[in-house]
Amino acid sequence: MRIVLVRRKKPLKYGGLVVALLSLLSGIFVFTIFAWLIGVNPYPVVETIVTTFIFPGVVKDFIILTLLGYALLIAFKGALWNIGAEGQMHMAFLVSIYITLIVFFTTEKSLPLYISIGVILLSIVAAVAAGALWGGLAGVIKAYAGVDEVPVTLILNYIAYFIGDILVYGPFRGKYVYGYARTDLIPDPYKLSIPVQRQLSGNALIDTVTGYMAEFATYAVWLVALILVLIFTYWLLNKSNIGLRIKILGSNPDYLVSLGYDVRKTMVLTFMLSGAIAGLTAALYYHGSLYRIEYPLEYNTASYGYLAILVAWLSMLDVYLVPLSAYIVSAVILGSQRVSSLPSVREAFTRLQLGGAEMAFKLLMFGSILLAYSILRFIQDYELKVVS
Amino acid sequence: MSSPLLSVANITKTFPGGVIALDEVSMDFHPGEFTVILGENGAGKSTLVKIMYGIYTPDKGSIILKGREVEIKSSLDAIKKGIVMVSQIPQLIDRLTVVENISLSLTRIGMFETMTRVRRFFKEVGEKIGIKVNPDAKVWSLTYTQKQLIEITRAILLDAMVLILDEALTYLPMEERRKFYVYLNEFKEKGRSVILITHKIPEALEIADKIYVLRRGKLVGALDKASANIDKIRDLMFGEAAKTITYERFTKPYETPVGDIVLNIRNLVVEGDYGEIAVNNVSLGVRAGEIIGIAGVVGNGQRELLEAIVGLRRVREGRVVIDNHDVTNKGVKLTRESGVGFIPDQPLRYAVSADNNIVENVAALFSRKNFVVNWKSMRELSEKLINEYGIYPPRPEMHVKLLSGGNIMKTVVSRELEYASKALVAYNPTRGLDEATSTFVRRKMKEKAVNSKLAVLFASEDLDEVLQLSDSLYVMNRGVLYGPFDPVSTPRSKIEELMVV
Repeated sequence: MRIVLVRRKKPLKYGGLVVALLSLLSGIFVFTIFAWLIGVNPYPVVETIVTTFIFPGVVKDFIILTLLGYALLIAFKGALWNIGAEGQMHMAFLVSIYITLIVFFTTEKSLPLYISIGVILLSIVAAVAAGALWGGLAGVIKAYAGVDEVPVTLILNYIAYFIGDILVYGPFRGKYVYGYARTDLIPDPYKLSIPVQRQLSGNALIDTVTGYMAEFATYAVWLVALILVLIFTYWLLNKSNIGLRIKILGSNPDYLVSLGYDVRKTMVLTFMLSGAIAGLTAALYYHGSLYRIEYPLEYNTASYGYLAILVAWLSMLDVYLVPLSAYIVSAVILGSQRVSSLPSVREAFTRLQLGGAEMAFKLLMFGSILLAYSILRFIQDYELKVVS
Repeated sequence: MSSPLLSVANITKTFPGGVIALDEVSMDFHPGEFTVILGENGAGKSTLVKIMYGIYTPDKGSIILKGREVEIKSSLDAIKKGIVMVSQIPQLIDRLTVVENISLSLTRIGMFETMTRVRRFFKEVGEKIGIKVNPDAKVWSLTYTQKQLIEITRAILLDAMVLILDEALTYLPMEERRKFYVYLNEFKEKGRSVILITHKIPEALEIADKIYVLRRGKLVGALDKASANIDKIRDLMFGEAAKTITYERFTKPYETPVGDIVLNIRNLVVEGDYGEIAVNNVSLGVRAGEIIGIAGVVGNGQRELLEAIVGLRRVREGRVVIDNHDVTNKGVKLTRESGVGFIPDQPLRYAVSADNNIVENVAALFSRKNFVVNWKSMRELSEKLINEYGIYPPRPEMHVKLLSGGNIMKTVVSRELEYASKALVAYNPTRGLDEATSTFVRRKMKEKAVNSKLAVLFASEDLDEVLQLSDSLYVMNRGVLYGPFDPVSTPRSKIEELMVV
């Protein structure tokens, strides 16, 4: 009798879901142990993290990360590792800013609705095109020059940041910014968020529920976009010829060649689709929450483009699991931010002369979750078996 | 009788998706014996030897080496225990030299051993087998035969007690194979054991001391040399389907075609992978309804010729005209859209997407012009192909990587034959298929050519296949095309001679 490791015959039922949730739990557990080791009472740490999962502030990150998750999902399905959502977003920001702050700039507090909608739509379309082109550029370099897409997309991120920096210092610098290197605020008629007023009741449960409702109402347009992008991605990958090509590209490009498809064009197209969704996300983010960009440019996105890689991986490239994994990632980011500003944590850092280590502490939780994830991912595919 | 050197007992293996590859299989391999395991496609032959070689883990059952039950954890473990396998596809690293490749795997050669010593080892063994390969040649510059020779030399250098050949000799030219048999006989006389996997019965009868026959994962027969004959084995391997096997020419009821020339190749010059002239001034024409076969030993430019015709490879000089349209160097898309089916060399690598299911693989070809794929009709088409060609297991949603090699080949052949409306260009259309399925596929090709007025051009390393199927045949040797010959009146010896001269 002996014990062997074999590949599972059938994937675990609800395996994706179980893996995502379990890695989260064990990640938090490991993180708490670290906190305890530096002398922080684990109770408030766990409490803060857990409560973040039912914290209305998560909604904004959740929507943005789901959208970007879909952008990357499409590229990853074609085995094209698009690390460049950041750059694609930034190029989209720049065209949106050009349209809203240069061409159609206004100091009016309100404009006729058709003008507002027209300008917003134009800005979104232009942003989608910009994202698609910046993504497509990476695709062209990958497909026609044969350069690996990972460094290419990463380098293109920095090029986008720096182009933005130059523009924000120069022609895009606002008139009402008191010398700061940033643009003006977006004119009110072009804002996409819906301001919601709410009164706190003092009851935690009621406040949480109304908080979520308020957040969803504020970002109602984003939610509509999210649903449309979900449907589009599903349709693309499961119904359309392009999606089929992308999937075969990810599995065996040689087969595409022998079928007479143009592999290089498929690569560029995949990147363009991915970049287009990133561009759309950027426009929504700018119109609905960011309102202006400032120097240095990479701070404007709060690393959404990179976090989305995590979202796509955690979803195991499953269209339905992207929102779930986006929610988890958003809650974890927010949770770790809240933990590192807990008084007991700050006090521990000071005592250990680790001032400024909050960032590392934040990353520690990510690391723990990813570690748990990779172990569980393995268990999902393999099982231990007793052979007689 | 001596006790077995290696035994497998009650081996059972089920694959993802619930396919039972092996069901309670037990076999003994004695020292000094040449054992052949025969079986049709998907019978479980490869799975069984992969278990013995530590690549798969059995669900149940045991492996007994020299009377002791052992666990084989990995291929390295198998090699340490004296079990070495050579597979159908050479597992060598192309960019390294022969000696470098060999030194990589030699466990008995220490880390600081010099290449000189490896070279000496290689020469010693090489001389015995009669292989003439420069030990410092880069592997990519060698032919398939030479690569297989190196693989086998390596196995011998590893001091194998049990040598497993997984279709390793099947595609070697007869001449080379015979040389090997002499050596392998010598090898087994030293109290070692050779296990050969094949689906070619004549190959088995040539050399086997003992034959095991697998069918659908079950052991259905164990024969010794005296009791084995081709009909008996065919019955065991194929059951009822054995009656359909034939190497008779498909003449009647088919008429000799006299259609227009569909595939017209004029003075074609094509380069090989490394810039050498692989196809040298080749001209031929294939009429609608006609089948033209190209015989030849592997690596004589057949692959390059066919690739150039469909547009996968650049044509240096000459023209390719399909249905009166010049398609020279205009890409695969154009040839595909003019209705050309194509079965490439190594279809498992170039003609399927393993991570996708059968329907998706079919749709990629048939729905090429639809923006939205009509999945319902693609599913129906896949079901039709599965039924018609007996693809097993019959599940359109099965990922291709979970099918056996033969069933993947059936998926490819059925798809391409169905797609072809003007011409079919094929390389080894029945490679890896068992006799019954091969006969079936060849019959299908013939029917399709006659009924749909299809121009068929195929190259095959199997001369029997070329003789059976072709209306007229050519021989390709070192990039030059000889012919045409009439397959009925031309003596076989003349063709064989042209192949190797």
